[in-house]
Amino acid sequence: MVNLAVLGAQLAFLVPVAVIILVTVVLAWVVGLLVGRLTQRTSPHMAGAARRLAVIVVALIGGTLALQALGVSPDILLLVVALLGATALIALRDPLGNYGAKYFSDIYTPFKVGDTIQVGAYSGKVIEINPMATVLLSDKEQLISLPNAALLRDVVTNTSPQAWKEVTVPVTLPGSVDLPAFESELLKSLSKLRMRLDPRFPPVVTTKARSPQSTELAVTLMLRRPEDRDAITSETNKRLGEVLEQVRGARR
Amino acid sequence: MPALSICINTQTPLVQFLGTNPGTSAPGSPRADLDLAALTEGRDYRYSPGGVTRMVYPLVRRLIHEGVLREAHWVALNPHAPPTVRLNDLTLHNVSIAGDRMAGYGTVKEAIWGRIHELNGVEEHDELFWSEAFSEYAYYNRRTAELIQQLDEKFDFDAFYIHDFQQLAVGHMLGTLKPKIFRWHIPFDAATIPDKWRAMLSTYLRSYDVVVVSAQSYAKSLRQLEPTGKVIRLYPYIDPTDYSHPNAVQVEAVSRRIGLAPEDQIALVVGRMDPIKGQDLAISAFAAVAADYPHLKLVLVGNGSFSGSASGLGLSKSARWRTHLEEMVVEARLQDRVLFTGHLGQEELDSLYERCRFTLLPSVREGFGLVAVESWIHDRPAIVTERAGIAELIRDGVNALLFDPDESGALVRQMKRLLDDPGGKLRARLVRNGRTTARKCSLDAAERAEGEMLAAVTEA
Repeated sequence: MVNLAVLGAQLAFLVPVAVIILVTVVLAWVVGLLVGRLTQRTSPHMAGAARRLAVIVVALIGGTLALQALGVSPDILLLVVALLGATALIALRDPLGNYGAKYFSDIYTPFKVGDTIQVGAYSGKVIEINPMATVLLSDKEQLISLPNAALLRDVVTNTSPQAWKEVTVPVTLPGSVDLPAFESELLKSLSKLRMRLDPRFPPVVTTKARSPQSTELAVTLMLRRPEDRDAITSETNKRLGEVLEQVRGARR
Repeated sequence: MPALSICINTQTPLVQFLGTNPGTSAPGSPRADLDLAALTEGRDYRYSPGGVTRMVYPLVRRLIHEGVLREAHWVALNPHAPPTVRLNDLTLHNVSIAGDRMAGYGTVKEAIWGRIHELNGVEEHDELFWSEAFSEYAYYNRRTAELIQQLDEKFDFDAFYIHDFQQLAVGHMLGTLKPKIFRWHIPFDAATIPDKWRAMLSTYLRSYDVVVVSAQSYAKSLRQLEPTGKVIRLYPYIDPTDYSHPNAVQVEAVSRRIGLAPEDQIALVVGRMDPIKGQDLAISAFAAVAADYPHLKLVLVGNGSFSGSASGLGLSKSARWRTHLEEMVVEARLQDRVLFTGHLGQEELDSLYERCRFTLLPSVREGFGLVAVESWIHDRPAIVTERAGIAELIRDGVNALLFDPDESGALVRQMKRLLDDPGGKLRARLVRNGRTTARKCSLDAAERAEGEMLAAVTEA
């Protein structure tokens, strides 16, 4: 027969571990929420990444403390993780650079497929933007593949007519979100900005890609004044986040 | 070419359900899939009268029969229907949206309709695409596109055939590389489009590989919006075998039922109760000739559209318009000479075509005007507005009589030409040539033209 008193004494050391895990979970949730609030004027893409990063950092700290409470030295573990990370970064430096550049160019670079751009000595119509490179079709019908990292390093000139007018904000919707309701509420929300937008071009929501897990959309707005670009992008991102929460809330 | 699988999308459903039955939307009843063969036409359901569905259904049936299509799925707005209804080789999928959203959607579609038909001023709905109502129009179109997308994942369609301006945004919302065809059924004159609408309409039109219109002038005008796909003209059509030629006994029975005496002559107007259909012009013209032709009666056939019906969107413009027309008749003291029949079944309508002396198509604007073709296949002469797409097929005095609805007295003049026709020579010529013209708007012609278009777009 098991002696409960002995078993309790043997398991007592787990109590601090459980407390640490519990506190970590709560803290991760609170930090995620705070970071979400702080980043609501950036794109939902960016805000989501920031939230995930903050949660991972809290989880790592909590995990390290929990290991210490168990009497395991976390030094070796941290060293292995750090070495693996450094090796991966060195080995995948170029692709990761391009991928990262694509990630940021999605959000901040003012061109899209169909535009004509000039980057250094190269110019042409953008026909593809993939995780590694942006592909241009030149006037001589040559394909030019520009590593995405180059687009962050070099000056990019969008030579499409009235390119300054257009702001395209990407948004990824989880598959669980009701797209028709989201679009409808978003159009209502964005119509409040119409004094700042070209009255001939109401906002347009375009489906870029879809899978059972998510739908990638692009919200296109046309500015009335070029100097409003940054403010409109920021405001649109804020409204995207609000509408997303609203539609999710209505579903719950 | 291998047989195709296509998805058709219209606003108006092919079949409207009447009342409640085990398969439809009785409160608390299961919304199970339904086979239409299990129900009774007239009691449980009816086919939507006239318009787009009247045209598309025979074509789909024929293309399936001829092996051009392997299967067809038809998505439409049908708030009072089960989600899926089987009808032989055709599967009907019904979209339903909440009443408050329906109201917003209705506002936008009526505004577009009114502007295209020049019933509204250019400035009246300048901000339409920024309005809250537009978000509901987008909602309905997106809901439709989502359903089509789900069906495509299941059935892997070869092409999408979207019909009419109410569905215009669907093509843009369908995230697919497969061919998309859009048929614009109403008139199109770029001059009627407000400046603030052009970019939006252009964005939507550019998402289609082919845009089909009903008249050459519409095609020319629509190209001004710079669609990226082809713009082609295909005449609307009817299946002549859907029309009967009732015998004298049947015609007499229908005539008696609606209050016609044997000596009465009929001028027939067939069209839903809508200001755009110009029934007021017909009443005014009739009032001008009534005293000279004491046996002539004007018969107005038609009710509201799907938009106006209780089983549809519930917009009440048709009832208002009919009241206005009835007031006109009372004012002209013609209550015993002008008859309103409401909606008639096809056989009853065929009886009136057989019974009439001539038909009138007095529309202020008309996408095409298949009523004239119906008149021709019943060997009856037609007097047709110049503002109809079909006018480009008509030579005045050869296959029909044309009139300008804005010209005072023009309709009266043409009615008198037929009423005073010595020896019936004009009538005989119009009937003979009309019958020939009707072949251009027949199902046979459409089968060829639409089949070629589908082949071209799917093989391109």
